Amino acid sequence: MNVATYPTRNLFRRRGRTILTLIAIALTVLIFNVLRTCDHGWQVGAEEAAKDRLATRHKVSITMQLPKRYIDDLRDPAKLPGIKAATWANWFGGKDPRERVPFFAAFAADHLSWFEVMDEMKVEPAALDAWKQTNNGAILGDVLAKTLGVKVGDDLTITSDIYPGDWKFKVVGIYMPLRKTADRNSMVFRWDYLNNKLHENPQSATPKDQIGWVMSRIDDPSKSAEISRSIDKMFDERDDQTVTMSERAFQLSFLGGASAIINAFKWVSLGILLIMLLILANTVAMSVRERTHEYGVLRAIGFSPRYVFNFIMGEAVLVALLGGLAGVLLTMVLINGVVGPFIEENMGAFFPYFRTPMHVFGLALIGAVVVGVISGVVPAIGASRRKVTDALRRVD
Amino acid sequence: MSVSSVSSESNESSEPSAETKAKADPDGAYRPIPDADRVPPRALGGGIVKLTSIAKTFYRGKEPIHVLERLDLDVPEGSFEALMGPSGSGKSTLLNIIAGLDRPTSGTVHVAGADLTRMSDGELAKWRSQTIGFVFQSFNLIPVLTAAQNVELPLLLTPLSGADRKKRVATALRVVGLEDRMEHYPRQLSGGQEQRVAIARAIVNDPKIIVADEPTGDLDRKSADDVLTLMEKLNKELGKTIFMVTHDPAAAERAGVRRKLDKGALL
Repeated sequence: MNVATYPTRNLFRRRGRTILTLIAIALTVLIFNVLRTCDHGWQVGAEEAAKDRLATRHKVSITMQLPKRYIDDLRDPAKLPGIKAATWANWFGGKDPRERVPFFAAFAADHLSWFEVMDEMKVEPAALDAWKQTNNGAILGDVLAKTLGVKVGDDLTITSDIYPGDWKFKVVGIYMPLRKTADRNSMVFRWDYLNNKLHENPQSATPKDQIGWVMSRIDDPSKSAEISRSIDKMFDERDDQTVTMSERAFQLSFLGGASAIINAFKWVSLGILLIMLLILANTVAMSVRERTHEYGVLRAIGFSPRYVFNFIMGEAVLVALLGGLAGVLLTMVLINGVVGPFIEENMGAFFPYFRTPMHVFGLALIGAVVVGVISGVVPAIGASRRKVTDALRRVD
Repeated sequence: MSVSSVSSESNESSEPSAETKAKADPDGAYRPIPDADRVPPRALGGGIVKLTSIAKTFYRGKEPIHVLERLDLDVPEGSFEALMGPSGSGKSTLLNIIAGLDRPTSGTVHVAGADLTRMSDGELAKWRSQTIGFVFQSFNLIPVLTAAQNVELPLLLTPLSGADRKKRVATALRVVGLEDRMEHYPRQLSGGQEQRVAIARAIVNDPKIIVADEPTGDLDRKSADDVLTLMEKLNKELGKTIFMVTHDPAAAERAGVRRKLDKGALL
C-alpha cells in the first residue's frame, strides 16, 4: 500500500457513476477527435503539398481559363530560369451515370508531362505508353477504379456538369499514391481529347486551346516567391494576367469557402472540452461532498491539507486520463479503423486522407488532463482548507 | 466556574513494567518510530495534558456562544480518564482541543510536551500523527481499504519501510485480536470488530495519548465491553494515556479517573 492506493481505490467506489463519467469523457474526446480530424482532413493536402511546385491560374478566378501557349513561355528557360518542368490541366468534374459514386475529381491533363510533374502518383511505364497511344485513354486512382468496378482495358462512360454529353474513355492505367494525401479517387485523361472533342462541332462557342491552370516544378523551393513574381510579371501585359502561388496556397484557395466551417469545427471542439469539464467537475464535486467526513478523519490522524488536496486532484486527473485514453482508443478503432478508410474511398475528393493524426490524440489527452486539473482544483482547495472539526461533523 | 483535576476521582495507573509491555507486544514492534523529525517534547512539568485557563467561544451570527470558560485540566501520563456530561456541555470541543483538532479562543494547551497554541496547522497535523491516536464513535474506517490498510494509513506518514509497516500492522491487529481479519473490508466486519480495527489504527503509530469520542456509542453491550477491556489493556499493559468522552456510565466506570463537564466547566 502507498499514498496512491486511496485515490485509486476511490476511483471505482461509485462504480456506476465512474463508468458513466468515463463513457461521457470518452465520447467527448471522440467528438473532439472527429472535429479535429475533419479540420486536419480538409487541410492535410495543403499541409503536405510539394514545396517545389508552383500553380499558375487566371488572375481573376480559377474558373477562367488561360491560353495554352502560355505553357511554352513557362517552359522556356531563357524567359523563366529555375523551372524544371511544367504541365497543365483543365477541371472536368466527373459524374458516374450509373451513380455508383455521386461525384469525383476528373482532369484533362497533358499526357506527356502530367505524371512527370505530379510525381506523388505512381503509374507503370506500360500504362504511360498506352496513355500516349490512346486518344481517349484515362488513368484512374485505385480507389475510384474499385468503386466504379473497372480495370485496365475496360471502357468507361462518364458525364460532367461543365461539358455536357456522354464522354467515353478507355481505362489504360491505374495510379497508386506515393503520398498519403494523394487523392486516390481521381481520374485523369488526355487534354487533347477534350480540346479536340469540344471543337468537333465548328459552331462551338468554346475557345480552342484553353487550359485551366499550370503546375510547374522549380529547382529551388527557397526561390518560389521570386519565380512566382517573375511568372506573373511575364504575363502582366497580356490579355489574360496570371497569379502564381505555391501548391500549398493553391490548395488552400479551394478551402476558402470552407474556412468558416473549419473555424467553426475548432470552436465547437473547444466547446466539447468545456462540456467534458462540466461533466467531470460535477462528478468530482459530488465525490468530494460525499467524502468530506472521511477527509476529516484523514486530517485528524495526521494527513496534512496538502495530502487531501493531492488525493482529490489525483482522482480527478486519473478519471480524466482514463476517459481520455478510452476516447483515444475509441477514435483509433472507429475513425482510423472504420470511418476513415470509408471516407477516403467515398469522399476522397474532399478528404483524401481522413485519419486522426498523433498530434490530435496528444492534444485530446492534454485537454483531458487539463480538464481534470481544472475540475478538481476548486473542490480540492475547499476540502483541504475545511476545518477538521467541521469536516468530522459533516455526515452525508 | 472552572475546576481543575482536583475534583476528579483518582484511580491512577502506574507505569507498566517492561515485562508487562513485552507480554502485550511480543515482537517489540512498538519501539518508538525512528523519525528524526518527531516534534520535540518540551519539559513542562505536570501531566501529559495541561490546559490552563482555556476558553472556547463560537459565534452563531453575531451572538457568542461560550462553550468552554476558563477551564484548567491536568491529565497525568498513563491515566485512563473518562469525561462525561450532557449534550452541548463542551465535551467534544474539549477533546478536540486536547487532540489538536481545534484551538481555544484563549488559554494555553500543552500536550505531550508541545504547546499546541503556537503550532501551525501543518505542524499540528504532523504532531497528531505522532502523538495522538483517535477512536471515533462511528469507527470511521475507510470503506475502500482492508482492515490492514486502514491500520497502515497513519504509518504512510512515517519513514518506515513497507516491511516494517506490515510488521507493525500485524502486531496492532494482534493486540486487538483481529489478526485473522486483516484482508477483510469494513463492510465484512461487525461493529465491534470495526471499532477494534479503529483502535488498532489508533495505536499503530505508538502514540502517547489515545482520545476516544464515544467509542462505545454505536456498539451493543457485549461489543462495548470488549472495546473497553481492550482500552484498559492498552492503558495498563502498554502505558497509553487514554482520554475518553462518553455518555455511558458503565463505560466511564471502567476508567481510572472520571470527570464531569457541564456548561463549559469541569465539576
